[in-house]
Amino acid sequence: MIVNTKWLERYTDIPYSPRELEEKLTYLGLESTVKKNPVERIEGVIISEIKEVLPHPNADRLQICRVDTGSGTMDVVCGAPNVAPGQKVPLARTGTVLPNGMELKPVKIRGVKSEGMICAEDELGLSDDHSGIMVLSDDAPLGIELKEYLGNGGASIDIDLTPNRPDCTSHIGVARDITLLTGNELKIPEINLKESAEPVADFISVEIENKIGCPRYAARVVKGVNIGPSPKWLTDYLTSVGLRSINNVVDVANFVLLETGHPLHTFDYHMIEGKKIIVRSAADGEEVVTLDGVRRELNEDVLLICDGKKPVAVAGIMGLENSEIKDDTKDILIESAYFDPATIRKGSRYLGLQTDASYRFERGADPEGVIYALNRLADLIVEVAGGSVCRGIVDNYVRKIDSAEIKVRYQRVNALLGMSIEPAWMLDKFQRLGCRIIEKNDEYVVLKVPTWRPDLEREVDMIEEVVRIYGMHVVPNARELRIQPNYYENREYQMVEELRQTIANMGLYEVCNNSLVSQNHVEFGLQNLKPVKIANPLGQDMSFMRTTLIPGLLQNARHNINRQKTDLQLFEMGFVQEYDPRQETHAREYQKYAILLTGYLEDKYWKYEQRTSDIFILKGMLQTVLNHFGIRDVEFVPGKHHHFRYLIEVRKGTALLVYFGQVEPTYLAKVWDIDAPVFVLEGDVNVLFKIADQRKIFKPLPVFPVIRRDVSILVAEDKKIADIEHLIWQKGGEFLKECRFYDLYTGKNIDKGLKSITFNLVFQAEDRTLQDNEIDKIMSAIHRTLKDKAGAQLR
Amino acid sequence: MSLPERIEKIRTQFDSDLSKLRLTADSLEELRLKYIGKKGGISRLFRDFAALSPDDKRTFGKDLNLLKKFVEDSIRQLKEKLAENRQTDSGFDYTLPGFSFKEGHLHPVTQTMNRICDIFREMGFGTEFGPEVETDFHNFQALNFPPDHPARDMQDTFFIEDDILLRTHTSPIQIRTMLKQKPPIRILAPGRVYRNEAINPRSYCVFHQIEGLYVDEHVTFAELKVTIEVFAKKFFGQDVKLRFRPSYFPFTEPSAEVDISCIICGGSGCRLCKNTGWLEIMGCGMVDPNVFEACGIDPEKYTGYAFGMGPERITMLKYGIDDIRLLYEGDVRFLEQF
Repeated sequence: MIVNTKWLERYTDIPYSPRELEEKLTYLGLESTVKKNPVERIEGVIISEIKEVLPHPNADRLQICRVDTGSGTMDVVCGAPNVAPGQKVPLARTGTVLPNGMELKPVKIRGVKSEGMICAEDELGLSDDHSGIMVLSDDAPLGIELKEYLGNGGASIDIDLTPNRPDCTSHIGVARDITLLTGNELKIPEINLKESAEPVADFISVEIENKIGCPRYAARVVKGVNIGPSPKWLTDYLTSVGLRSINNVVDVANFVLLETGHPLHTFDYHMIEGKKIIVRSAADGEEVVTLDGVRRELNEDVLLICDGKKPVAVAGIMGLENSEIKDDTKDILIESAYFDPATIRKGSRYLGLQTDASYRFERGADPEGVIYALNRLADLIVEVAGGSVCRGIVDNYVRKIDSAEIKVRYQRVNALLGMSIEPAWMLDKFQRLGCRIIEKNDEYVVLKVPTWRPDLEREVDMIEEVVRIYGMHVVPNARELRIQPNYYENREYQMVEELRQTIANMGLYEVCNNSLVSQNHVEFGLQNLKPVKIANPLGQDMSFMRTTLIPGLLQNARHNINRQKTDLQLFEMGFVQEYDPRQETHAREYQKYAILLTGYLEDKYWKYEQRTSDIFILKGMLQTVLNHFGIRDVEFVPGKHHHFRYLIEVRKGTALLVYFGQVEPTYLAKVWDIDAPVFVLEGDVNVLFKIADQRKIFKPLPVFPVIRRDVSILVAEDKKIADIEHLIWQKGGEFLKECRFYDLYTGKNIDKGLKSITFNLVFQAEDRTLQDNEIDKIMSAIHRTLKDKAGAQLR
Repeated sequence: MSLPERIEKIRTQFDSDLSKLRLTADSLEELRLKYIGKKGGISRLFRDFAALSPDDKRTFGKDLNLLKKFVEDSIRQLKEKLAENRQTDSGFDYTLPGFSFKEGHLHPVTQTMNRICDIFREMGFGTEFGPEVETDFHNFQALNFPPDHPARDMQDTFFIEDDILLRTHTSPIQIRTMLKQKPPIRILAPGRVYRNEAINPRSYCVFHQIEGLYVDEHVTFAELKVTIEVFAKKFFGQDVKLRFRPSYFPFTEPSAEVDISCIICGGSGCRLCKNTGWLEIMGCGMVDPNVFEACGIDPEKYTGYAFGMGPERITMLKYGIDDIRLLYEGDVRFLEQF
């Protein structure tokens, strides 16, 4: 909503500068920004008169205009279709910079010198109209700057209105809020309508079929108008709020809309058949052509205004082409109605069409403002377009819309705000808002709120009025924060953050991916959850909720690789969804964590070899996570899936804790356009937390020295390291504290089919220094069992 | 060879070795082993010395000890010299860069959320979660958004089915909490939210929100103000100024929007604050009685406040990020900056 300060001053005295007003309105809840008046930006454009129009010698579509600038004449080449001698026009001369940034340079157009340009509205930044040059009224003074002629000198303020304030979709409404601060009077224009002897009832009757959708419909008829250009005062007001002048009747209708906030519609009376208006719901599939020339198919949610034979307007949204005001219109039917907000909203949404009218009706117009707006428009039409107003009003008010009665307890106001505001102060403000006092005493007041404030329904709404007028910014802060003991600790939240930090601590970067994904994301991997599908997605590539985090990471990998960043260690944590109609929300949600590795793990360094991401690095990261959460004795089980080259499932009992592996390179190349080896892991946070064991019990530090021994053996290549380790532990006895695998070798000097493996063993006793010969005995037992059970040869 | 001869020979030998020594850690260690190591010459002399008669011991003991002390002193001096040499050794380039350890990075939005949660936790706020796929009841109706109300336009919604949708804010967590728990309630509700808005530098269809809720007897707007001010000063800095201005949210009444003085220009006006001097950081207000009623809490007995903010927006303000899409691309050149 754009308001103009000069326009506002018609209704109340404003002692503030535009900047001050901007701040004060913002503190009142009308978030305001002073806008540069478009007229103010026009520099160096002067009003000139076209004296002669000559054909261009070298171009059929161009003409040479000889213009009088008030201080001489010059020739200007012009291609607009609407130039004619005698017109007053805006002329930009050579050297002028127009608001759109265009600088006029001396030019020859098709061989003819042009000393300037006659401007269209879009070139002046006044509208986006480029259908022809802008023609000013005949009395425009020659030779003066256009910006001094146009506009009214007021500032424009753009108000970002919240949906609860339909009353401020008008200058009178905003002016009323300003009086809350100034204490000045609100002056609503008086109407002295002269009516003719012809009764309106002879020309029109109104029948309301849908009383829910249309509680009130009023109409007047004005006869014998002359459609023509608007007077300057009118176009100045409209220009100041960014509206374009169309003709005198349409312009005053817009003026009254912006003055009162009440949407009105004007029909060409002679296009209305059967002297009748019927308000009804549209039939499913009924088609109409609206004013904007668009054919629209309707449904039962749309309310229609019809005459005796056909629809003539989509109620509260837009008129139809068949009854619009034309240049030769003589008699006018004016509609002023109150339409039900929900009905208009449904229709507007169904049609995908929001207009100035629908915006106001769906937020709630003033049912008692219907007659004032109707009379005001009839009066102004006569003023600017002549004609006479038929006697009387057709006013069909079939469903009374009433405003609320609210009891406001002064003590409650102050208790909720934490303040002590005087009741007298509150009463004054309530009255300025337009509330009527029905009952009052020391403790409370009962108010009848005005019909233009449908948002005021309850005591708390009035409390909001008090604090917004008082100024939220001046409410003092409370002096203390009352904090109640809270015995509950959200362990899950803490563990999530611990997991996130544990992963990041290994050098990984956390990403945050879109959870709205395409088909190929939800098809990835082995879990194949049934995805949740979006009914109204932004696009096909965002039509599902993700079921796994890995495809998002693959997308990140592709993004980075395409930007020559090929060494990546990424992770994400987040929820995935599975469609499940048995749930309240028809979805199950699982919190997941996922890791992706590709390329080198660290930068090149002169002294050390650069490590490359592989399945063992990834498994090591997983082990760190499992260790952190005290998870032991998990099973690593080989898995199989066509998206994976290697796949390992990590299980604890029957629960799948994590899976990880190398993504199948052919799939990776085909679907993700990635050539490098990529390793991924995904696990479920809650499964992890369920088996986590973070109890920690202190063990006294050992005081006796350790003995270290290596076990180096040759075994068949298919023997699993974990099995060998298990055998060592079996025979290691109470003194074996550590058994760490650290070397694996096949190839040169090792017989085919065998591998050489080495473990480092650490022995220690808690109560004495161990003797070498004790350990020798244990080592022989270990060697023996390795030989018997694993066929190992000692090296 | 007699013992005195051997003492003399070792001394001569040591002098000669010393004069020929190219001083390095290895050569010095070799020298030490040769003379006073376990199997070194002097150690062997001491072993033989043990077999001498008491008289001979008296005669040669002194010489032997002197020799040992001389060798030990010489080697110690050489060691010190070696250490000195090392410190001034021009062969060591102290400008060689150290090994670069890879530091992990939490996503900047995670960092912002953690900080916000930390500050409110100090003020007694616990943390609650809720589902991202929600019912119309929890996301709208219980929060006082009637069906077919223009307020629903403020939050363009992704629908799954007629009454199932992607939550447009984390406020449904307030509803879920109030339905299962009696006041006092003091919680923070972080999480992902969804809005059906075209993706561009200013908006994204997925983002995060952190909401707070405090419900008890006698909770006031003045308490809400001080709580928000404590947060803003801790998060944005002690000098930051706040401004509360009335706004509209269906689930709070009165409702306010909170601006902070621009963190770039301090309020004088710049590009970031669009010359207003202020930056909007959150919405808040007193819980609407209709919300309490939907949750079975008596609005005459209890009052409460709620607030909500967008960690993405706050992150972008804090670091001067001008395109929200950068937050979701996973570009490592972006991530490693935080």
